[in-house]
Amino acid sequence: MLDQHAIRQLSEVSVSVEIETPEMTLNIGPQHPSTHGVLRLVAKVDGERITDVDPKLGYMHRGYEKLSEVRTYPQIMALVNRIDWTSGYANEVPFVVAAERLLGVEPPERAKWIRLILTEMARVSAHLLFMGSFPLELGATTPLMFSLRDRERVLDVMESLTGGRFHPNFNRIGGVKPAAGAGKEMKKQVQDLPAGFLAETRDAMVKVRSTCDELEQLIMGNEIFLARTKGIGILPPDVAVSYGVTGPNLRASGVPFDLRTMTDYLPYDQVDFEVPIGEQGDSFDRWWVRLQEIRQATRIVDQAVDKIPAGPLLAKVPKIIKVPKGETYVRAENPKGIMGYYLVSEGGQGPYRLKIRSASFSNLSMLPWILEGVLIPDLLAVMGSLDFVLGDVDR
Amino acid sequence: MSTNQPEDTDGVPAEPSPLAAFADEVAAAVGGTPSTDHGTVKVRVAAERWAEAVEAARDAAGLPFLEFISAIDWANDVSVGDPPEEPVEERLEVLCAVGDVVEGRLAILSADIPKEAPSIASLTHLYPGAEWHEREAAEMFGIHFEGLAKTDHLYLPDEFEGNPLRKSFALLTREVKPWPGDVDVEDLPDAVPTGPSTENPGA
Repeated sequence: MLDQHAIRQLSEVSVSVEIETPEMTLNIGPQHPSTHGVLRLVAKVDGERITDVDPKLGYMHRGYEKLSEVRTYPQIMALVNRIDWTSGYANEVPFVVAAERLLGVEPPERAKWIRLILTEMARVSAHLLFMGSFPLELGATTPLMFSLRDRERVLDVMESLTGGRFHPNFNRIGGVKPAAGAGKEMKKQVQDLPAGFLAETRDAMVKVRSTCDELEQLIMGNEIFLARTKGIGILPPDVAVSYGVTGPNLRASGVPFDLRTMTDYLPYDQVDFEVPIGEQGDSFDRWWVRLQEIRQATRIVDQAVDKIPAGPLLAKVPKIIKVPKGETYVRAENPKGIMGYYLVSEGGQGPYRLKIRSASFSNLSMLPWILEGVLIPDLLAVMGSLDFVLGDVDR
Repeated sequence: MSTNQPEDTDGVPAEPSPLAAFADEVAAAVGGTPSTDHGTVKVRVAAERWAEAVEAARDAAGLPFLEFISAIDWANDVSVGDPPEEPVEERLEVLCAVGDVVEGRLAILSADIPKEAPSIASLTHLYPGAEWHEREAAEMFGIHFEGLAKTDHLYLPDEFEGNPLRKSFALLTREVKPWPGDVDVEDLPDAVPTGPSTENPGA
């Protein structure tokens, strides 16, 4: 007669007999499942489980680093805001600060505050897109309607000032674009923020905050979403750091690393905000951190709207800008993470070399690590939560 | 080696700036020459000691975060853009930026390698994230990273020949047709308001 222990052993033996499954190679793409650009994955799978994944990049490679060597600084501004097209404005800021640093020009205070407002609004619009696209990838269509409605509100306000929804191209070396109107007469008049801009901004932020509450209710009450994201795709902090992962992806793993609290490229030291961090570093935390970051960004915009000083928008700079010989590296906390420009000038009208350090490139480089052992149905839950844009990977 | 430190009138060295102090600290740890031009900490090291120096930066100087790895092609004869104002020494400069995630400090290590058979140690054993950065630098500059396991192209098609970010690599579109922006440059308006205004428009 078998005792309890023997029965258990026997049953364990019988379930641990594995069916022989040959390793298969599965091609995914070339496309991003949520069309954030084009990516191809070559995955090795054992049944439903991914054993190895090899991302194939380059479908969005536009050669900006080479193009920068034949363009002038103002022309490059139009290129760089197409790197991460979900937050075009934020890409311009570190580049223009790098050029100003080499040139020895300090932008007026008012210009810095306008840069801060627009950067945070770019963050709100980029994160709102994520709030819609990530649940959509898991089959929840409703949050998209809420978040896109408010993203459009924010983009409308940005457009009223800059003339562009996605690609504002609003920075100039020494400040921000001063003349908005067309024709000689308009250009002679004082051009500044359009009337009512600050009030509309404040209004949009109130609406964004109430949408955040709605989105939170929709998701936190959705058991399917929680089951598919909690505990899925855990990224430990030390792995994230060694791969150079930054932004909300790093903060979701519990590392409170936010350049806005550490550097002075914009007057963040004069506003009050919190840096939300996650506990587990799973897909759910990455969603949660971004939701909190929208709320904090609206807080920053509110304070900036109250504090913005009067004054000129542009420092005195020559019409044709030649940047003196020198090298500098300027980085900024963009919606997707740290974006930096290593700018080498040899005294010309354009850079001698411009190295673009983009957030999504480093964030995506740990994809083979995080996808190992993940089930194919969870692939979307993990990749969607990382919030990368292929334009920001390939440059 | 030490960066230029200001001295006060009594000849006693004044307290160095935090940036200069950090540059000196990293330079001492990795055995290199520091500079802090334009607020950027850069430490030059010998190429033979590349992996050793970056390891010291990671462990001794406490910089576990990989920002980027890239290179600069220093050339006097260029096919694209403007050549340097003054003649430069022909070489490839490899850059590796490392930092920490507590104080947000960042140091850029740099090493010169010759353009003929450029080769330098891979950093993938120190930072797993180095793989993509090095594969990009390898195809764009033609640098051989010793110890880099995966050497196929990251961006470029497999059959692509040449190294696009080398200064000798011509930009074909520009060879065929001049930049259209050269002919239709519009002058900036003269009446750009630069004086301080007292009111706060936009309110």
